[in-house]
Amino acid sequence: MSVAETRVDPITASVIGGALDSIAIEMGHKLARMSYSSIIRESEDFGTVICDAEARQLCESPQSTPLQSGPIPGYVRGINRRFEEIGEEWKPGDVVMHNHPYYGSSHGPDVGFLVPVFVGDELVGFSGSTAHHLDIGALTPGSCGIVDATDAYAEGLQFNAIKIEEEGKRNEWVWHILRDNIRMSDIVVADMQAQIAASRIGAERFLELIDRYGLETVQGASEDLMDYSERVLRTEIEKLPDGTYSAEGMIDGYLDHVDPAYRDLPICAAVTIDGSDLIVDLEGTAPQVDLPINMPFEGTVDIAIYLVLRSILLDSETHPPVPTNSGLFRPIAIRAPEGCLANPRYPAPTIARFVAGNIIAETVMRALAPHMPEAVAASVGNLKVIASSGIRDGGHWVHMDIIEGSYGGRYGKDGLDAVDTLYGNTRNNPIEDIESHLPLRVTRYELQEDEAGAGRWRGGLGSIRDVEFTEPGGFSIEADGNKWPPLGIFGGSDGTAGSIVLNPGTDKAESLPSKIPYRKVDAGETIRTVAPSAGGYGEPAERDVDAIQEDILDDFVSEESAKRDYPQYREA
Amino acid sequence: MRVVGVDIGGTFTDLALYDTDSGATHVHKVPSTPDEPGHALITGIKELCGQAGLAPADVDAVFHGTTVATNAVLQHRGATAGMITTRGVRDIVHIGRHQRPQNYSIMQDIPWQTKPFVQRRHRKVVSERIVPPSGDVLVELDEDEVRAAAQELQSEGVTAVAVCFLFAYLNDTHEQRAAEIVRDEMPDAFVTTSAGIFPQFREFERFTTACMNAFVGPGIGTYLESLAGSLRDENVPGKLHVMMSNGGVATARAAAEKPVTLLLSGPAAGILGGQWAGELSERQRLITFDMGGTSADIGIVTERGVAEASARDTWVAGYPLLVPMLDVHTIGAGGGSIAYVDEAGGFRVGPRSAGARPGPACYGFGGEEATITDANVALGRIDPDRFLGGEIKLDRDLALGAVERLADQLGVGLYEAAEGVITIANASMARAIRSRTIEKGHDPRDFTLVAFGGAGSLHAAEVADSLGVPEVLIPPYPGITSATGLLTSDLKYDQMRTVFMIEGSIDAERLNRELTELQADVKRRLLEDGIPDEDIAVSASLDCRYVGQGYELRVPLPELQFTDAALAEFHGMHEQEYQHAMHDPIEIVNLRVTAIGARPKLGKPQLSPGDLTDALLGEGESVFRSNGSLEAIPTRYLDRSRLPLNKTVPGPVVIFQRDTTVLVPPAWGAVAQESGNLILERRPV
Repeated sequence: MSVAETRVDPITASVIGGALDSIAIEMGHKLARMSYSSIIRESEDFGTVICDAEARQLCESPQSTPLQSGPIPGYVRGINRRFEEIGEEWKPGDVVMHNHPYYGSSHGPDVGFLVPVFVGDELVGFSGSTAHHLDIGALTPGSCGIVDATDAYAEGLQFNAIKIEEEGKRNEWVWHILRDNIRMSDIVVADMQAQIAASRIGAERFLELIDRYGLETVQGASEDLMDYSERVLRTEIEKLPDGTYSAEGMIDGYLDHVDPAYRDLPICAAVTIDGSDLIVDLEGTAPQVDLPINMPFEGTVDIAIYLVLRSILLDSETHPPVPTNSGLFRPIAIRAPEGCLANPRYPAPTIARFVAGNIIAETVMRALAPHMPEAVAASVGNLKVIASSGIRDGGHWVHMDIIEGSYGGRYGKDGLDAVDTLYGNTRNNPIEDIESHLPLRVTRYELQEDEAGAGRWRGGLGSIRDVEFTEPGGFSIEADGNKWPPLGIFGGSDGTAGSIVLNPGTDKAESLPSKIPYRKVDAGETIRTVAPSAGGYGEPAERDVDAIQEDILDDFVSEESAKRDYPQYREA
Repeated sequence: MRVVGVDIGGTFTDLALYDTDSGATHVHKVPSTPDEPGHALITGIKELCGQAGLAPADVDAVFHGTTVATNAVLQHRGATAGMITTRGVRDIVHIGRHQRPQNYSIMQDIPWQTKPFVQRRHRKVVSERIVPPSGDVLVELDEDEVRAAAQELQSEGVTAVAVCFLFAYLNDTHEQRAAEIVRDEMPDAFVTTSAGIFPQFREFERFTTACMNAFVGPGIGTYLESLAGSLRDENVPGKLHVMMSNGGVATARAAAEKPVTLLLSGPAAGILGGQWAGELSERQRLITFDMGGTSADIGIVTERGVAEASARDTWVAGYPLLVPMLDVHTIGAGGGSIAYVDEAGGFRVGPRSAGARPGPACYGFGGEEATITDANVALGRIDPDRFLGGEIKLDRDLALGAVERLADQLGVGLYEAAEGVITIANASMARAIRSRTIEKGHDPRDFTLVAFGGAGSLHAAEVADSLGVPEVLIPPYPGITSATGLLTSDLKYDQMRTVFMIEGSIDAERLNRELTELQADVKRRLLEDGIPDEDIAVSASLDCRYVGQGYELRVPLPELQFTDAALAEFHGMHEQEYQHAMHDPIEIVNLRVTAIGARPKLGKPQLSPGDLTDALLGEGESVFRSNGSLEAIPTRYLDRSRLPLNKTVPGPVVIFQRDTTVLVPPAWGAVAQESGNLILERRPV
């Protein structure tokens, strides 16, 4: 291995790279601790990043969710585009609030706060954070499960490059608008202030780094680090045979919609390997709809694809660490026809795009699977996001839960059970926290037994979760995978689709589709969510008999289905 | 009174003996006997006593730091454990927080799924339910189900049981009753309850802690019993005490009940050793820097004592652990860390380590890759003939060869490559220290860096330089600082309770009643250990946050009772920690009390100083950067034990002692103090 041309010596580059990582880590650490809503502090649905002056990402907090940190450079580009349109520019002391999904934001609830970093008059970079806010003033309470918004205006407030602080002066009027238009605004505003504080800390630390090493050295090292990450990824892409490889996935869409154009929607991906370049083309993906499962091309679709490619090509379990920066995007080009779910036209709604993006990621993984069978998983079980809400002491309470999915079987390993998947990596809320603060009771939270796809390495198990309202309230859900089960791979069996049931086991039991707009419930009513159990990997007949027996002992698999799915077990 | 500190590590067992009457200190090191740790303990005590002219029967107390519990977790070798939990939540310890440990990985494993402390087949559910806010019983405990579960576990060969119920931190009567039934049905089993370890909210973390306790419980019990037995056999009258992660010692009996509190036993002792050395020189604000062969441990000491980790951030071997522990930050940089150029041309140092075998190239055991130790040898900062008191002879040519190969790959000179290895390693250690100080609102320039471990004092001056830390303190026995730390420790018990009370509706009377109960409880335990009342000090604190936040800050209660002053204090602490305070109501989450039973303290060592001529061992050449270029500069080699007192010896010098090497770079000077410490200071330019 030879050493590439570099701008600064590799030792200094390594030291600066480490320092950049520490800055993002400190930002994330402080944001999590200062914030109020459980979606940020417990679920960690936030991101922190430092970018250079050209809006290229230099580092990220590993605590953050990829779908939050990844889009931040796009937020900066979107703000720049907006500034150009209105003849505005960045000035020292500014703090810019942004959430416009057609200007680089991931979707409306993920509000970014960006702080420019100046050395004298020269703009040298940006420190930014994004976080999922509990409510952004949409048509019904909460910022998830807004599945009936018909356009971007129905999704809540749109901030397109708003200077919430201008040259060091707070714009109080904007804060008034926020307080007057957002439910639970005390919490949301406090979370926003925590974000601003974290972004400022990042800006200060970045300046200290420049003070210490000099601007030219920091910039040189940044370029070297991006080149390095690009080189690492190209090395892996080059190992794949040239050609185009395709796969197709399906999402539920709106299973109860009268118009078939809203149901059973294909997601298509063709991956072309050309030397060390990789092109993903989403041609064939279903046309956009006027309900909010469209995915912003920049901010959601690109991140889903970068995430999955990095996870299989540079899997951190099997590869040495690589700096997370924009160099990792350079070898990858993404195309999607305008007007499809993956590249909608304004003002098509996008707020509930999360679960569809997971299927883009995993369709790309399946397209590459035949060429890297030891690096991929069978299909994942998709996720659910639930907003619960009510009125208490005269004000709203709103709570968000992300219900985990599961991973498919992998080469040499069964799938991961009951985890957040692919570009999401949030955390659940402790039952002891939920019940201490909200009129909810979690009466069941366990693995869903006996539904994972059989295989040489079986799929991961989903979860089953029952939540009872102890006071009257309401809920809304965005989910997918209630109809289309996670697929098996290389001969493995498909997993099992998920389900949502209101009042299970009672005479009021009602099975619900995967998109549920706001709906009222009485005290004593229970929502059951069952996560899909993932697909199997490889021929079931090749599974180790001991592993089958262990699964039976742990009730992961029943004796009955073991006999049905595994001939070697019947015979043993 | 004669007390012995014994730190049993993987390779060596370190011992220190202190005679409180004569003030004499003796130290010793023997090879560890991992299959039978008691063997090294006894051999060590006998030899140490021989050195001191004493008999084992003269030893009044033995303090022990152990990695046995840590290794049981790391190697996943423990009991067949079972769990009895609330119906409906059988899989809390399997699902965890549903977060993947790594963001970018398909092939990763989740420790609690692939290596559970309790397999699912041994997780039994029973009907019962406690509810917040005050721990009311919603569903009564079904005792027949508990009995049936215990019988099943018994028949499945389970030898340790964790009873884990939701909201037991508010009301532990169901857990207690269930544990009683289990003990009844399984008289030989190790039984633990989730609230019995630490009654704190967050079920995954608390249940996992309890399951880990069950998993290591029987093994640790046997281990401590056998050590105590070995001591009895040799007629050592002193009681065995064990260092806990919180920096206190407990009697072996108390430690055996909560072995999960021993996981940071060794590193905690190291920080205390550093703190003791700092006190000898009247330094209160310390960064302890313990660098060994594979890793470096960093701790922070301020006027408030040793910094403790917040319970949300404590992990061991990838598992969460909800017990009080000192804030020890470990990074993968030690003498054996390997430097290499990766596939894409990146220059890396560690965390891959050459370990003890093959070890660094210069050990001559077949290691080919350059390590930090090899880089130090190449730069003339380690004398190959005097490494670890000459016990291991190093081969300079092998070190040079390994660094040369690295230099060729990097396309730089030999010295540049060697210096690069040291620079990257030092930068990553400085970064770790920075994260423990600046990020917490401490300015490292107000601190002294206390360097120990086999390699700490070689790197300390340069690490201090890059942080702006003005001075480095090298303790009297840097290679066995943990063993000396054991001799400085007190008996310590922690207790806590989750309360959830919000400013404006705080029931101060209830708070103070509960505080008083907790204080009485920890004090009683010290009295039972034979500590006289006048030697017991009790402290109390509150974990507080702004209503709605998820992380708490610990607010001390100097008067041991709650007053509104505590809330004012919280605002200030939030500002210091986050550079930002809010004006929202404050929520009190937990009450905490700690009782400390004072023990006699290790005194300062006896010295036999000489003058510089006595100390001079020879002269060599070491490589340093001066005016931008690397140069080999004549460097004196000195014997620490003969250094003159209170005289600044200007760098560059390399100072040798039996258990380590101290590097004093050209811009630094060294002063041997009467306290027994060696102080390195930046010389005025």
